[in-house]
Amino acid sequence: STSESHAIPSAPRKVECAEDEEFLSALDKMVSENIQDRMREPIKLSNVDISVPVVVKSNKKTYDQLQDSNNPDQGTMGFVLMVRKGNKQQYKTFHADINSELAQNLRDQELVQREE
Amino acid sequence: EEDDEEFYNSKELPDYACKYCGIHEPNCVVMCNLCKKWFCNGRGNTSGSHIINHLVRAKHKEVTLHKDGPLGETVLECYSCGVRNVFVLGFIPAKADSVVVLLCRQPCAAQNSLKDMNWEQEQWKPLISDRSFLTWLVKIPSEQEQLRARQITAQQINKLEELWKDNVDATFQDLEKPGVDEEPQQVLLRYEDGYQYQNIFGPLVKLEADYDKRLKESQTQENIEVRWDVGLNKKTIAYFTLAKTDGDMKLMHGDELRLRYVGEMHKTWAGVGHVIKVPDNYGEDIGIELKNGAGAPSECHSNFVVDFIWKSTSFDRMQLALRKFAVDDTSVSAYIYHRLLGHEVEEVLFRCHLPKHFSAPNLPDLNRSQVYAVKHALQRPLSLIQGPPGTGKTVTSATIVYQLVKQNGGPVLVCAPSNTAVDQLTEKIHRTNLKVVRLCAKSREAIDSPVSFLALHNQIRKLDTNTELQKLQQLKDETGELSSVDEKRYRMLKKSAERELLEAADVICCTCVGAGDPRLVRLKFHSILIDESMQATEPECMVPVVLGVKQLILVGDHCQLGPVVMCKKAARAGLSQSLFERLVVLGIRPFRLEVQYRMHPELSRFPSNFFYEGSLQNGVCADERKLLKIDFPWPVLDRPMFFYVTQGQEEIAGSGTSYLNRTEAANVEKIATRFLKSGIKPEQIGIITPYEGQRAYLVQYMQYQGSLHGKLYQEIEVASVDAFQGREKDIIIMSCVRSNEHQGIGFLNDPRRLNVALTRAKYGIIIAGNPKVLSKQPLWNHLLSFYKEQKVLVEGPLTNLKESLIQFAKPKKLIN
Ligand SMILES: [Zn+2]
Ligand SMILES: [Zn+2]
Ligand SMILES: [Zn+2]
Repeated sequence: STSESHAIPSAPRKVECAEDEEFLSALDKMVSENIQDRMREPIKLSNVDISVPVVVKSNKKTYDQLQDSNNPDQGTMGFVLMVRKGNKQQYKTFHADINSELAQNLRDQELVQREE
Repeated sequence: EEDDEEFYNSKELPDYACKYCGIHEPNCVVMCNLCKKWFCNGRGNTSGSHIINHLVRAKHKEVTLHKDGPLGETVLECYSCGVRNVFVLGFIPAKADSVVVLLCRQPCAAQNSLKDMNWEQEQWKPLISDRSFLTWLVKIPSEQEQLRARQITAQQINKLEELWKDNVDATFQDLEKPGVDEEPQQVLLRYEDGYQYQNIFGPLVKLEADYDKRLKESQTQENIEVRWDVGLNKKTIAYFTLAKTDGDMKLMHGDELRLRYVGEMHKTWAGVGHVIKVPDNYGEDIGIELKNGAGAPSECHSNFVVDFIWKSTSFDRMQLALRKFAVDDTSVSAYIYHRLLGHEVEEVLFRCHLPKHFSAPNLPDLNRSQVYAVKHALQRPLSLIQGPPGTGKTVTSATIVYQLVKQNGGPVLVCAPSNTAVDQLTEKIHRTNLKVVRLCAKSREAIDSPVSFLALHNQIRKLDTNTELQKLQQLKDETGELSSVDEKRYRMLKKSAERELLEAADVICCTCVGAGDPRLVRLKFHSILIDESMQATEPECMVPVVLGVKQLILVGDHCQLGPVVMCKKAARAGLSQSLFERLVVLGIRPFRLEVQYRMHPELSRFPSNFFYEGSLQNGVCADERKLLKIDFPWPVLDRPMFFYVTQGQEEIAGSGTSYLNRTEAANVEKIATRFLKSGIKPEQIGIITPYEGQRAYLVQYMQYQGSLHGKLYQEIEVASVDAFQGREKDIIIMSCVRSNEHQGIGFLNDPRRLNVALTRAKYGIIIAGNPKVLSKQPLWNHLLSFYKEQKVLVEGPLTNLKESLIQFAKPKKLIN
């Protein structure tokens, strides 16, 4: 019943404690140290071809098309993640939230292009 | 309910269930590649998702997505270089195309060709955002799901991770087993007897030892390239570079490493050596001198493995000292015994003939408070001398030692926690013409220092009275080996020569832990002085103390940094409190040196008022601390200080926060360059920054982006506050880094650390930081208000600094 569901908490509550603080600073440290390490180490750029795949390009859909076709849930849009398995390219489709930065960014880009 | 029971019984859960909370929705879980455990992307009641919590706490870095997750089974790796470290991975979207690619931030996402290939390079975003994985990689379990799962706290997560270090199969249920949860007993102010003292400190030393062991032994590194060399002493030296040592691990001179050959060009080989060179501004090389170079595969250069060797010596010595203090009534005088335990004992004065002149030969004359300090120490069986920054602590200590020898004869034992501090004091004492022996750990004999010639092992080589020993030594040096008969004879002769030298010495100097050296066992020391004693843990201090002390002088300053304790449990239980500090709390008044000779009077004002109740007087005047012919745009002519308001954004948005601030680094470079251009030498400048990330960045930035020759910037020391303790520089530039609104300023809110940072500069100090954030800390609020009142809180370009009108935040609550 409604009164019952009101009684249960809606989300886990964040508990502040020293261990959590330690985690926060350890994460910060880890990120910055790992990036610094990469900057210090001389890592050679590989010759792997990273150009945007043509296969995907030909199937190109606009933001609006992406929104209403081929979506399992409302409010998401389809993307393709390009990965490499050994020497082979693989394309994995996934759905990002309409409000995600990823989706918003794509829409902004399209708007710019349309204006041009 | 039945459901619940099933849920909580982890045996029923699939193996991909979150090891913390049990959530097992394939969409929401990730596997850690290293330990093969699964974790969910929900944060429960902590600040980061469970997988991120695990990766950070276990220092693991690679993951695989679940086969039934949004992307199917996928190892997260850089498309271009294949690196799998999720902390450097991110993605870039294609320009106006619904394609994305995973790329590491450096160097792959930074390459210029990306733009031509239609990727939106500026849109690079990390895979970890807001302390969890991006939801298109791994879903976040719904709030209801999270509420139904096991509610695990950050403390429990921490403990579970600790358990896994000993037993990879430990489960949440093991947390409830007795013993796991126990916090060690807290240190006390007063102790019943030496047994209680030992019972409390013993387990803390054990905790710290265990922590240190685990840390060292987990540092094995593979694929090491080695460059071979032979030292002047004919010993084999191996040089190599380690990838990334754990941030907590500091390699020190004298540490032991094991080098192993695992390739196929030579039969397997392993050799142990002492570190003789550590990475520094000039290079990342590490050098080790092999104990036994015979058979080393010096024709091979790759396929080596490096292990860190943990040594229990220092911890064993502390434990031994604690036991001796408890059971051996000759270890310390009865008076000292009771005073150290905090028993009510009346203060006594020795009846001694005080000298007419308190100064020592070849040392500067003492000022009034220094003379009183010497007098104070000579007359008392137990005294604390507090030496605020720049007050001549070392000279005072050396003079006390000189007078002690004049009064009671030797040997006096002189210790400090660090080798550098021991060397500094040794040098001063040597100047007074006393017979000084510096005792070094065997593993450090190869390391050069300004007082090497005073080291026992070097003095023995120069003993011309013992020709037989010299001959054998020569033979050993030339051939590297002696016959077993000769070796036996050599050792015997060396031992007795060592004893002879030690017994004849007026003063023996060594580190606190070094005082546990077997070569000192049979000596008794009536008087012991421990310098920088606030930097030693209590058990560390006890190592020299139990050598029969009747007169103990602790020199230090409890307003500066205390000892470094790595194990948090031990630190929380009070191991990080020094003996000096406890004795102050017990009501023993430290005798304070009051005249500082380091800082420009304007620089000492705030530290004096805030940390020393305004008692610091200036022994130098403004004119003696004026940078002559140096044109620098100080906002107020007679005040060589300012706070440079920098509101730069922190670098890595999204992954929580980071300790890297590029704007601030650029400002620091500009200031340093301006000083260098006006004629300041690079070695006169010190740059303090609390975070390793910023330190590394600054070093790189100045070298490659600085407008002067890169070599110049190399000579500027860039280090943490801790590395500057006990030292001074003409100019200090401080980069505070934190400008994130949401977090505290961590590290910088320790008053002792701020005190040390503010008191290193002789001629001038510049602090770069964001007042809006810093002012939330009461301590910094005070400092900022002081700078504002002095009209030296400024902003704008260096050529046109203007007073800043920035509003401070209200400090949270007043500590201190
Ligand atoms: Zn979980
Ligand atoms: Zn793991
Ligand atoms: Zn890469």
